[in-house]
Amino acid sequence: MRNTAAIEIDLRDTMSMCSLRAGAGLFGIETVQIREVLGTTSPQRVPLAPEYIAGVVPHRGEILTTVNFRVLLGLERRAGPGCVLVLDEEEGRDCFGLLVDGVGGVVTLARSALEANPSALDARSMALFDGVFRMPAGLMVHLDPQQLRPSRLAESGMFAAARRRSYGGQR
Amino acid sequence: MDELTKEFVAESQEGLERMELCLTDLEKRPGDVELVSEIFRTVHTIKGTTGFLRFRRLEKLAHAGEGLLAALRDGKIIATSELIGALLELMDGLRAILHLIETTGIEGARSTDDDRELIALMVDLKAGSAEAAVNGKSAPPMHDVELLALAAGRDASRAALLSAAALAPAPILTATQDRTLRIDVEVLNRMMNQVGELVLTRNQILQSSPDAQNFPELARRLNNVTAELRQSVMQARMQPVGHLFGKFPRMVRDLGRTCGRQVRIEFEGQETGLDKSLLEAVRDPLTHAVRNAVDHGIEPPDVRMLAGKPVEGVVRLRAFHQSGSVVIEVIDDGAGISTEQVLAKALERGLATPEQAASMTQREALQMLFVPGFSTARKVTNISGRGVGLDVVRANVEQVGGSVELESHLESGTTVRMRVPLTLAIVPALVVRSGGQSFALPQNALVELVYMARRDAESQIERIGASELYRLRDSLLPLVWLDRLLDLEQSAGTELQGFYIAVLESEDRRFGLVVDDLKPPEEIVVKSLSAVLREIGLFSGATVLGNGTLALILDVAEAGARAGVRPAVEAVKVVEATAKLEAAGRVGQAQIAMATSVVIYETWKRGFGEDRRGARMAMPLSAVERIESVPIAEIEYAGGRPVLQYGGELLPIEDEDEVLLEMAAANKPGDAGPAATILICLRSGEHASKRVGVVVRRVVGVSPGTLLAATAEVCAEPLAMVKDRVTTLHRDFVGQSAPPALQEVA
Repeated sequence: MRNTAAIEIDLRDTMSMCSLRAGAGLFGIETVQIREVLGTTSPQRVPLAPEYIAGVVPHRGEILTTVNFRVLLGLERRAGPGCVLVLDEEEGRDCFGLLVDGVGGVVTLARSALEANPSALDARSMALFDGVFRMPAGLMVHLDPQQLRPSRLAESGMFAAARRRSYGGQR
Repeated sequence: MDELTKEFVAESQEGLERMELCLTDLEKRPGDVELVSEIFRTVHTIKGTTGFLRFRRLEKLAHAGEGLLAALRDGKIIATSELIGALLELMDGLRAILHLIETTGIEGARSTDDDRELIALMVDLKAGSAEAAVNGKSAPPMHDVELLALAAGRDASRAALLSAAALAPAPILTATQDRTLRIDVEVLNRMMNQVGELVLTRNQILQSSPDAQNFPELARRLNNVTAELRQSVMQARMQPVGHLFGKFPRMVRDLGRTCGRQVRIEFEGQETGLDKSLLEAVRDPLTHAVRNAVDHGIEPPDVRMLAGKPVEGVVRLRAFHQSGSVVIEVIDDGAGISTEQVLAKALERGLATPEQAASMTQREALQMLFVPGFSTARKVTNISGRGVGLDVVRANVEQVGGSVELESHLESGTTVRMRVPLTLAIVPALVVRSGGQSFALPQNALVELVYMARRDAESQIERIGASELYRLRDSLLPLVWLDRLLDLEQSAGTELQGFYIAVLESEDRRFGLVVDDLKPPEEIVVKSLSAVLREIGLFSGATVLGNGTLALILDVAEAGARAGVRPAVEAVKVVEATAKLEAAGRVGQAQIAMATSVVIYETWKRGFGEDRRGARMAMPLSAVERIESVPIAEIEYAGGRPVLQYGGELLPIEDEDEVLLEMAAANKPGDAGPAATILICLRSGEHASKRVGVVVRRVVGVSPGTLLAATAEVCAEPLAMVKDRVTTLHRDFVGQSAPPALQEVA
């Protein structure tokens, strides 16, 4: 009896994190917050969309707006396909996609090990990251899908280096 | 409980649901006048009807609420959290009484059923808040949580009143439209069967492989099942138009009384089905049109008597299906529209110059009515005549891809004809490529396609300042380069042989969209985009193409506007307006004309006289899907008749002119041979939605034309006036643009 009680407590304190890569960094999103991982896909670009929008991908009969995580981090866009994670937007009503370089394995971490963002981070990263885990191999940044929602990114204005230009007629 | 009460309860509950949403919105935007008006209307409607149904208690409560809301609407008090709390209580109170009526048939007269406290609260608020407002104090809007707590606290003190409401928790709505739909169980069963079939077919396909013998058969079955399922789902979404008509008898009666007219309303084709979303979309335009008919159309009884008409006017609502769209007509037997008055008004408003007015035909004059801010009512009444009439009707109907036509006949009445597509979910579209991406253009905006070889481009495209123009027959067409508009990467390096100009027309803007390449047209399933992408404004949605890739659907009107194409105000849109020409004599002799666009082509056989060469015929543009150039070797013969394999279907070929025979005779065997020009047409009438290929010698061009009434004395063939010449129309394809209604009215 004692053992099971201990395990329960233990489970409640852990997070099952799906690790992802973008550039040189290691990131993690809780598995319960991920609806689906679409293998290698290349989103269809949407002209005139904000730079951080990777494009759209078809998903279960709907059109999924996909955020390019590399661009959010300030990295170069990468040619070729990447991995798209399907995440919930606002309590399971809608979802959006997050384009990353690759998805790694699932790791179980203690919730208590999550540390606040280091204060040295720049404002952009502060807005994107939810905290860090200190892993044996290095840091894993915890991401909260709610902070990466396209609508929120648009509101924050921090990433809105929109490419909207008026029609020039001549190039 | 009688029918009337039942309806009242249902309607009021719906109203209260809307009110609930508005109240929650009002918390966020306390200053929103629209919201307050909406709430006011709900309560006002309840009050009005209860008086009539003799629900005294409900009336009293609603009356108190109305007073408070009126003060709020007039800006005498401010929407504080306390006030919103009180309004929520009012709503709960009304709901409780409605619930009582629904379950017991009476509104409750026991001592526990007392609203005095609530009424007193509202009276206090009305007076008290007025003071607060005078003092310049306005409590900030509260957070939801606080408000809920407030409401909960009050709940406890008025448990008796709210008990009924508490038992039936308010449904949570996310949109203002009602979200339920009545579906025939039969239809649902059929859908389930088809889904089952779909699953079975999928299983078989998964176990099969593309090389398997039975694969083509499986693919065909999948195709059938999908088509059937789509049909069923569409059918399930279809609602009889009669749902819309239900409100009109009362409205017409009340309106008639207000403006001193005797009017009767008649319905026809109430069972005509229309997609639910579209039904909602035409509700307002239809109401507008009916109001117009009663207020402007039908004359006062004395005038009617003098004119020798029955004293009672008739407004007829008529709905029917016609070639893939639903037509709803509002027909009145009133005074009709006087062209002189329209023109006089247009001059007065500065919408036309005297020279323009003098040269306008009657049809063009009627077209003026669609210009925003135009109203011919001699005096502004509170019902209509504020210049928000037909332009709003047209805007609303066009928003869902429909069109409005106006037909008027002096002294015998006016017809407003709205044409809306059956469904919005699936639309025919042209797929184009530009900058390495695919885009879909809704077919209904497409006028024609022009191919331009790169070497001709320099000489045929003219530049004025920064804008480029293409001379298309008689007119100059502004060009919009899709890749530049969208900031796409231009097709790098590989100099293309040529490009295509898609001539588009939407919301009075006509321009040529330059694209790199065309793909076969597809019936696309429209999917909405997320808010972030909608904000770009140029895309109305996206779709998955047959090859599995995504294509964005271009908003044609917005693309034109973004590129600086100005709407052609003075250029009358021929396709849209239909009007009877000025009646020279009595009804019946009236010459009927109908504007349309036609494809003119050359034929030899039908020419008159010795020299048959160069005779011209025309085909309504609406009937022509595509113009193909087909090598005659590709045309096969089945049972002696020429057929063509076209996009997976077998197309019968019509060759009245015997062009194919001539070509075949001139051709050496074994050669691919010359190419025949074939119009791919959609047949109307009983052969509806059957495609057929019509061989022509040469396509001359596309031009606006006017269909003339078929008069047997002149010619058995349908005729059209094209470029001031009488041209014979291909008889099989006329039905699509000449509605039978025309003949009937005449």
